Amino acid sequence: MYNRLLKIKPLLMLLFLAMLVLIVGCGKNDSANNSTDKGQVKLVFQNIYPDETATNHKVMKKIVNAYMDQHPDVRIDLDSLNIDQQKLKLKTQASGKNLPDIFVVNASAQMKPFVDEGLLAPLDDMLDKNTLRQTFQEGILNYYTFDGKTYALPDGNNIGVMYYNKQIFSDLGLTPPQTFTELIDAVKKIKSEGIIPIAIAEKETWTGSILFMNIVLRTNNGPGFLDDVIAGKKTFHDPAFIEAIEAFEELVDAGAFQEGATTTEYAEAETLFRTGQAAMYYMGTWATSGMETSDHKDYIDVFPFPTVHGKGNVRDFMLAPGSAFAIAQNSPHLEQAKDFLNYFMLQWPKENFEMKAAVGLAQHVDGDFQKAGYSDISINVLNLFQTVQGGDLAFDNTMKPDVAQVHLKAIQRLFVEKVSPQDIADEHQKAFEKSYAQ
Amino acid sequence: MKLTPKVFSVFLLPALVYYLTMVILPIGLSFYTALFDWNGIGQATFIGLGNFKELLFNDPLFWQTVKRNLLFALFSMAEIPFAFLLAALIARFFRRGQRIVAAYFLPVILSAVVVGQLWQAIYHPLSRGGLLNQILVLLHLDSLTRAWLSDPNVAMYALYFVALWQYLGYHVLIQYTGIQNIPHTLQEAAIIDGANTWQIMRHIVFPLNIPFFKISLILAFIGSLQAFELIMVTTGGGPAEATEVMSTYMYNQSFLNLHYGYGSAIASFLVMFSLLATFVLNTVFASLEKRYDIGG
Repeated sequence: MYNRLLKIKPLLMLLFLAMLVLIVGCGKNDSANNSTDKGQVKLVFQNIYPDETATNHKVMKKIVNAYMDQHPDVRIDLDSLNIDQQKLKLKTQASGKNLPDIFVVNASAQMKPFVDEGLLAPLDDMLDKNTLRQTFQEGILNYYTFDGKTYALPDGNNIGVMYYNKQIFSDLGLTPPQTFTELIDAVKKIKSEGIIPIAIAEKETWTGSILFMNIVLRTNNGPGFLDDVIAGKKTFHDPAFIEAIEAFEELVDAGAFQEGATTTEYAEAETLFRTGQAAMYYMGTWATSGMETSDHKDYIDVFPFPTVHGKGNVRDFMLAPGSAFAIAQNSPHLEQAKDFLNYFMLQWPKENFEMKAAVGLAQHVDGDFQKAGYSDISINVLNLFQTVQGGDLAFDNTMKPDVAQVHLKAIQRLFVEKVSPQDIADEHQKAFEKSYAQ
Repeated sequence: MKLTPKVFSVFLLPALVYYLTMVILPIGLSFYTALFDWNGIGQATFIGLGNFKELLFNDPLFWQTVKRNLLFALFSMAEIPFAFLLAALIARFFRRGQRIVAAYFLPVILSAVVVGQLWQAIYHPLSRGGLLNQILVLLHLDSLTRAWLSDPNVAMYALYFVALWQYLGYHVLIQYTGIQNIPHTLQEAAIIDGANTWQIMRHIVFPLNIPFFKISLILAFIGSLQAFELIMVTTGGGPAEATEVMSTYMYNQSFLNLHYGYGSAIASFLVMFSLLATFVLNTVFASLEKRYDIGG
């Protein structure tokens, strides 16, 4: 027996040694989170710009490197993830209260759980440094402000517009529709020519939702429908909501969207439009930079979503305040992180302007776009921005996630099934009452 | 060094530690989390079995997903006799059957993303060049053309078919291995005794292959319950909820609706269900194996 044990001993020792190395290794990693060997402060910057060939990544990299050059005592590690990955990782990190120093959150309802839990640092003191606050467009910071404190700074501000192919329109003798009836007529005409009237990426259910909510924005005669529902002033059985469902069904029935829309991915839908296979494409203005690279870019223009049955104002848009940078309240280097983000946001509009990516920023941009060589489509979108009077946020930026999911699925159902508007309204109302009663 | 139980346990330890921390512990945690109302970020409220009550008695959507999983399991298991037949034919008529089996096995090694993209192209609507629809038109079956993955009435069946196609080779491989394992002497003796092919099948190959049926059936059943990637890649559970199954529903509840506790309850249900199914299948086969007197 003793003999046998003796034989096992070296093996056991090896195993323990291996485990020890593992444990020590993990421990070391943790401490490295705070500072590096050279006594540098290390900040982790989690972001949603993973594509190294994309402008947003290049701009970020440039600003980060410039900051590190000026501050040799600070090292910034980038954790670049695509949007879905980042959302998932951040939620996991949040549940373990182990957040990166700087990260990305979404406006309004989507970031509220983080604020409620005290995970985000208020940034007001930092906003008042170097007049950073003044660089932001008026009102935009409200979407990131809770109880008078601002918790995140947006990288962009976009609106929902209808991109259209001027060539297809002029070939068919069409002009940009001013009313919903004209839109339906245009859809039928385009469809009869064998061209897809409107490309949509309904596998990603939010795409149908913003289009639908733009109709609500019209039938409700202005913004604020969902806010009124939350405030208890209206319900989903409101005539404005029912009318919007009917209008949307009318679009589907007229064959407005490509076949198999519910399995179409985002990039796929955009390609249908950019390659001239589809005549229209409803999307946030962030899609503009993608249009710049289209072969058909000289034929692409935009128009605001038309009025519906004489209701609404074409100067109201679906508003998409961008994803925004926040700082962890429990970051060990809170001040350093704030200082960096201050610098970053001050440089953001300048660097984007130089890279021809300053359409749809949340900040004021100094400079002449025309002189800087921006294309017609960019200029037209910028001009449309000048007309913005107000609008609504997307459904999932306004309502709680569980209600938003019911909504997104319900809208997706409209693409494939004939459902009575009353049933859709019921579904919404039930989900809303269940979620908000708690 | 002699291989004593102690040596064995030392060698097993790393795998055991890994298994405990990466499989058993998360399952336990999942059961624990299922007892809370938790959005994944904020404070969790203990609600006992509330999530399970809601899930089992008050959530018609969930039972729809269970139904789809069970139907999927049924199709997957029905595929196995077919796989067995193929394997038997390959074993009977090909000297180097492994190559044919390898060809059948090929789709199994493709990632779900590749398979999803491939079949999405095949199932595309006619207006966008779908292969299947074009073939139907060539065969003058125009009335059958449709947007296979966007039609709520057929989308789920279209996906079942993809999974069956992908995993046929897996089961062919298992069955083929089983058939190859049967000693040739038995069959030769039977031939000398004047048994025909059917009799050899019925009285030698079939019973001796029972342990391999068991493996195939359990894998098919559990695999069907866990179906996830293919659905996420192709339809994302849509249109509406037409192709939602348990695991995609769990994902949606946990990560999109921010109902972590509820999602965990679904996960726990899935674990219990899989264990129960494995137990039932094992019991059935134990009696079969006893009848034919083969150690399983």
